Amino acid sequence: MSVRTILLYPDPLLKTVCGPVAAINREISTLIEDLLDTMRAGPGSVGVAAPQIGVPLRVCVVDVSENRQGRENNHGLLVMVNPRIIHREGSAIMREGCMSVPDYTGDVERATSITASFLDGSGESREITASGFESVAIQHEMDHLDGLLFLDRIASLKTGLFRRKKYK
Amino acid sequence: MSECRKDNLAHFAVTIIGKDRPGIVADTAEILYRLGCNVEDSSCTMLGGDFAMILIVSHGKPFVKARMADEFKSMQGQGLSVYIRALNEDEVCYRSPQGELCLVSVYGSDRPGIVYRVTRALAERGVNITDLNTRLIGTKDEPVYVLMLEAALPEGLTIENAEGLLEKLKKELNVEISVRVITPVSL
Repeated sequence: MSVRTILLYPDPLLKTVCGPVAAINREISTLIEDLLDTMRAGPGSVGVAAPQIGVPLRVCVVDVSENRQGRENNHGLLVMVNPRIIHREGSAIMREGCMSVPDYTGDVERATSITASFLDGSGESREITASGFESVAIQHEMDHLDGLLFLDRIASLKTGLFRRKKYK
Repeated sequence: MSECRKDNLAHFAVTIIGKDRPGIVADTAEILYRLGCNVEDSSCTMLGGDFAMILIVSHGKPFVKARMADEFKSMQGQGLSVYIRALNEDEVCYRSPQGELCLVSVYGSDRPGIVYRVTRALAERGVNITDLNTRLIGTKDEPVYVLMLEAALPEGLTIENAEGLLEKLKKELNVEISVRVITPVSL
């Protein structure tokens, strides 16, 4: 059990499509513990994905319950093994930052509500419908499992706020 | 956190503006590349019929402004204004804004003083503007002014305080003003 170093881009692992977990054995349990320790150690961190600590497997942890934007609407601590999004609804833009891409933020469009299925830390199958900030956090962490960073999803430059129109 | 290249010896702010056409960025970038300069930070956009570039550039070795100015003479010959400013060490590094970040949108029938009154009200309370765009839209008969700005609130000033601060300007200027939090979420 240990706090692991968060990999920073351009580490190639962050652009790797991660493989599925075959079975939840001791190795995976240790990985989950490390993800939790690393998340809790990061200031204000609400999620970590396995590739961010150097393991190319489809595991991530999310917990927005302590976060100002997430504390009123969440499923508490989520350990997600082989997660899949089976339904998405709505869209909203939120400015995101990522521990693996320090000092940069960007506006990203995400579904406002998602239904995800996954195995929890003990291998039980779960299905949840998340909305609001928790849904954004899950989508962000799950993107890491496919080698996607928020930089791949920036919705617009700030000047995109304006429609260009001219008159004389 | 921010690891700017402070070890680089020379830093300059370069401003280029002129009638928009394809190739202004490429021409600028080519000159900087040939000089061995790095573009560390930049913001470039169309403003009216012009294209405006603002860049922070650096060089790994001691470097004089005059040498860069010489290289940009060809662009000045093409009707572009070029301004170069040598930077002091304390101007070099980007510092992420501290405090709650908010987006203030202001719009309404065009009239003098919208930018002035809104930004003065914010400045008086120590609100630091980090980004600002304005544009005149609407029709010739009914021009509409749009001002969008991002600002970091100082410690002790809430979003509600900021809204309150601007509330009376709504009536005085007859504009819509809204404030919303856009502090980035760290994931």
